[in-house]
Amino acid sequence: MSYFSLLTVNGLVIGLIYALTAAGLTLIFSVLRVVNFGHGAFYMVGGYVSYYAIRSLGLPPVGGVVVAMAALFLFGVLFEILVMRPVYTDEVERKDEYAIIVTFGMTILLSNLAIVVFGPFSKSPPPFMAGTLILGPIILPYDRLIAALVAIALLCATTWFLARTTLGQALDAVSQNRESAAVIGINPRRMYTIAFGLGSALAGGAGALIAPIFALSPSMGDLPVVQAFIIIVIGGMGSVGGSIAGGILLGLAQSWGVGYLPDPNRALAYTQAFGAVLLIVTLLFRPTGLFGRVHLRLE
Amino acid sequence: MANGYTQRPSASAILQVILLVVALAVPLFGGAYWIHVGAILWYYAILASSWTLLAGFAGQFSFAHLMFAALGGYASALIVLHMGTAYFPLAIFIGLVLAIVVGALIGFMVLRLSGPYLALFTLAISEVFRMILIAEEQVTRGSLGLQVPRFFKGDSDVPYYYLGLALLIGSMLLMGFLLHTRVGLFLRAIREDEGATQASGVNTTHYKILVFVVTSGIAAIAGIYYAHFIGILTPNMMILPEMGIVIAMAVIGGIESLPGAVVGAAIVYLLSELLRDYGELRFVLLGLALVLVQRFARNGLLPLIDRIGRRPAAVSSRLSAPGGTSEKPHGN
Repeated sequence: MSYFSLLTVNGLVIGLIYALTAAGLTLIFSVLRVVNFGHGAFYMVGGYVSYYAIRSLGLPPVGGVVVAMAALFLFGVLFEILVMRPVYTDEVERKDEYAIIVTFGMTILLSNLAIVVFGPFSKSPPPFMAGTLILGPIILPYDRLIAALVAIALLCATTWFLARTTLGQALDAVSQNRESAAVIGINPRRMYTIAFGLGSALAGGAGALIAPIFALSPSMGDLPVVQAFIIIVIGGMGSVGGSIAGGILLGLAQSWGVGYLPDPNRALAYTQAFGAVLLIVTLLFRPTGLFGRVHLRLE
Repeated sequence: MANGYTQRPSASAILQVILLVVALAVPLFGGAYWIHVGAILWYYAILASSWTLLAGFAGQFSFAHLMFAALGGYASALIVLHMGTAYFPLAIFIGLVLAIVVGALIGFMVLRLSGPYLALFTLAISEVFRMILIAEEQVTRGSLGLQVPRFFKGDSDVPYYYLGLALLIGSMLLMGFLLHTRVGLFLRAIREDEGATQASGVNTTHYKILVFVVTSGIAAIAGIYYAHFIGILTPNMMILPEMGIVIAMAVIGGIESLPGAVVGAAIVYLLSELLRDYGELRFVLLGLALVLVQRFARNGLLPLIDRIGRRPAAVSSRLSAPGGTSEKPHGN
């Protein structure tokens, strides 16, 4: 029983970080109709920004998360303005391919730049808080507890922002119908920029939160980005609530899978494959995902 | 049309002939090192050009292309390992057929998917296959790698060099022929507007599956060649960064041109060999080049060469279906 609760708590923590990464990805998708294949690299950059903010500016670890999010927001905004812009003009005929190629190109650029600049070896940022919480059968390092709490706070803030603020509702309006949103005076282009910035900031925040738990490395985003793809498809492309639910489910399923399946090597490989199979099945039989919003269905 | 198949000899056609002569002559002048590099280059060139047919011409942006190379390579390698080198023809045949069957199956499954959905679907399929290769160690030797018997006796890479070049030319001729027939027209029409193509009486289902079959088969041939040339197979041959290199080759050379993809493969691979001392910085440049080419020279570098000696008006005359430039209806 204690083993089960241990796995559950760990799965929940990882699931929340997954959810945060996926929420950013899905926010970008819902507004721009673009899958950001560079999301994993943004996540990795977030981790490093936080590390250097803590090390060289002497910030507390949670401050590092804030700096990472701010930096990635700026980066996302710049990237959107400089590179993504042609997607909305008639300059580009094949918008989907264009978006995939430039964001994927960004992944190649950033992950190799990270190897050049930060070195191929992993780095460990200082923990958010030393020690371990022991609560009956649950054993949870404070590090993970704080990462989970910050992730919950960020996810709540994102949900609240999208539902309750004027800007959030404007983003939602653009995601539902660009033309109608433009008619009532919302500038879709500004919303694209803001959505891309916010989505990138969420990726950066997730990277900064995971960094003290695992280690920083230039390839740290490779696996989470695939998980995020899986989550946004299962949760329904474009649904932030769906990606939160999907993230937690996937985190739990993987934690239990690795914990209970015999042969750890196979268990690790197949729990990752399990998510990918879910993605395949979802796209084939229920393309709107489990919590998909009707207006974002397959075009 | 900016695809390199124009009637009069264009600058790029002349360039292609020159490059072919150079390619044939390299083993006479180049040392063992460059012959080896060239033999690997053919592997990438076959993959990049067949991916160009799939993604550039037919608009099926797939991340699973290297999976077919791995599928063909592993299937052929395992058969030869278990039955002996006398069974090379059978092994090649089965590797090829397997890839074609799986290619047809995936082509069938993705009929309804396009754009980012297709990309995510093929990425997931590819990852599942890679996980299986890693996990089933007693068959594939997992990440350690499978030792594969080579095609030819001896240490020289010259036979591989010419075999690879012959396979590249053969697959280019096959794909070029396909594009010259009305199939090529249908594929481009599907890319521009699938609904309109269907409404014009073209059985789009057939042609979408066909393009997956052809390109998967060619990718498998590349994989089989690579397996029995390099002598070791690991699941790393199909990781995402490898796919990124193939995509970069195709995009930099020109995503709407088969010879462009080959030239792109040559530029990217030879530069990455020449600049080996710069380590990962090469791939930073590759990523940058990918973004910049896409941002500012969307048809890649080869069509730029075509501008030499042509009237500017001829450059902009590219295939575009009616309404191809208008935005897709979104969100309702």
